[in-house]
Amino acid sequence: MSRHSGLVNKHRIADLLVLLVLASLVGLYAIDAMRASRSLYNLIFVLPVTGLVLLLCLAQFVASVPKIRTVAEEQEPVAHVVPVVALFAAYVLSLHWIGFDVGTLLFLAVFLWLHGERRWPWLLGYSIGFASLVSIFFSKMLPYPMPMLILTSAY
Amino acid sequence: MIDFESFQAALGMLFSSASPWLIVIPGILIGLVFGAIPGLQISMAMAIFLPMTLYMDFMQAMLFLTAIFTGGSFGGSIPAILMNIPGTSSAIATAFDGYPMARQGRHNLALGVALSASCIGVIVGYSILLLLINPISEIVLRIGPAEMTVVILWGITLIGSLSSGSLLKGLISGMAGLLVGTIGYGEAGVARGTFGSAYLLDGVPVIPAMIGMFAASELFRLAKTDYLVEDSAARKVSVRQILSGFRIASTYPWVVLRGSLIGVFIGSIPGVGSSIANLLSYMVTKRNAEDPGSFGRGNPSGVVASEAANSTSEAGSMATLLALGIPGGGATAVMLAAFAMHNITGGPQFIREETDVVYAIIVANFGQAFLLIGLGLLLIPLLANVVKVPMSYLVPSVLALAVFGSFGLTGDLSGPVTVLVFSVAGWVFKRYGYSVPAAVVGLLLGGMAEDSVIYSYQISGGQWSYLLERPMALAILVLLAMSLFGSRLLAMLTRRVRR
Repeated sequence: MSRHSGLVNKHRIADLLVLLVLASLVGLYAIDAMRASRSLYNLIFVLPVTGLVLLLCLAQFVASVPKIRTVAEEQEPVAHVVPVVALFAAYVLSLHWIGFDVGTLLFLAVFLWLHGERRWPWLLGYSIGFASLVSIFFSKMLPYPMPMLILTSAY
Repeated sequence: MIDFESFQAALGMLFSSASPWLIVIPGILIGLVFGAIPGLQISMAMAIFLPMTLYMDFMQAMLFLTAIFTGGSFGGSIPAILMNIPGTSSAIATAFDGYPMARQGRHNLALGVALSASCIGVIVGYSILLLLINPISEIVLRIGPAEMTVVILWGITLIGSLSSGSLLKGLISGMAGLLVGTIGYGEAGVARGTFGSAYLLDGVPVIPAMIGMFAASELFRLAKTDYLVEDSAARKVSVRQILSGFRIASTYPWVVLRGSLIGVFIGSIPGVGSSIANLLSYMVTKRNAEDPGSFGRGNPSGVVASEAANSTSEAGSMATLLALGIPGGGATAVMLAAFAMHNITGGPQFIREETDVVYAIIVANFGQAFLLIGLGLLLIPLLANVVKVPMSYLVPSVLALAVFGSFGLTGDLSGPVTVLVFSVAGWVFKRYGYSVPAAVVGLLLGGMAEDSVIYSYQISGGQWSYLLERPMALAILVLLAMSLFGSRLLAMLTRRVRR
């Protein structure tokens, strides 16, 4: 049973925003598909499914608006997740330049340090050991070269 | 039903020497390891080891490859239970209850339940195959694109209604997933939704997207916790508890049998089978349970239902491969390549002329199930130690593994970037109550659903009456409507009768 707080709930607003973004992206995709080609075979699946998603979004919107002042379930603070996402994004997006070996080493080391690991032998030993082992394993297993900075890219 | 002469010949082929079994053990181990490492796939393992089968005779090659398949089918449940990362799309429903069990400190039990349900499932599945290989292949031949379309829609509806608190949000997730699955070049030969990126011309890389939505998004949430299992006393690895998982699984014989039947029949549908079978079995078990509210919160019968179905869907896909020569997915496609390497063509003629080999493959899988129990019991205690690793070490290690694995799947950086994008999307979905499993299954099946709709249109000439000529499609449509409105309709009727 949801409680009525009297105030507009931030989580509920964000929920509505997510719904709107989702509906907009689906709508944009349908427009892009129509721009690409108006042939029947191009749209026979995309347009009906888009219509259905937009209808469902509308129904969800209508159902959500009256709940905007009710208290939502407690969620973990966004501030807990943002540093992890940012670090992971930096790792993935830098792989092209610093390679899987150095990229993984730095990602592990920074993550461990951010999460309270201050024992340098552990921090460096684990980061170097894990990054080297996994880089060598995958570069040996995969049939194509992996971006590397220090280790050989193709084994 | 069974050709006893060929059956006897099959037993002779298998048990006249130990050599067929010597290749089964490494096969199962390879499957277990590849299934258990997030990002590595069973089909990848089979493709990597396919060249080795050139030095084997055809039967040995099939035993080796099916052993990888069997090991991998269970291996995929290990990360699903311990880390909420389904190793394959057929282990999605295993994570629904397996992961909550692990977080409650019942990881040993969950792994034992999964292992026993998998092994029993393999035995039941191949028994059904032994008896019904011909009727199954006849049914599969009657499945056309119209049936494929409704099966896909049914699957999406089931999972959407099942895995999210809100039916509307579940359906939105599944349908949006279907649309994302059609990004890139379609049947009309034009690219859609690529935003100018050449990486998206072939569509969104599905497995990296799955890893991102399931695994990475969950790891973001877990980063602030100390251990996967909060209670330090519950973190121990206990073989006794793993074995008691066997006892628990045996208390659900109907769940296993129903899951096995669903697994064989749905698993035999090319392309769709393994992804849908585990979800359908889970849904039916939840619907028929006395306490449906306990599902998703660590109910062992959820794990039994999913594992029984996904391990038997292997038997179903083998039926399609052996009887019709049609591969149902990546793993059976590699097996088809092994057929070609040994100059053998699957199909009715193969079953008629090489019945003893077909029986040998089936009987060998019974043996594989028992070997899997032994090897699984040896390997699980090692893998279950993951709960003792602090999350500050586990989270970045698994994220890095996911990045390496996704690079391995795409061969370029589009894989890791897909993991990143879909991990954020998965986190948002979870936070706001959308269904991640429905979105992932939609993504997996979107391209196939579009192709099926187009083929149905071409066959029917745009006439809706075509559906009336497809009783199987109509029956599935009725099931779809019942799974959406059945319980409400029943409640309404009951109220009226009471009045």
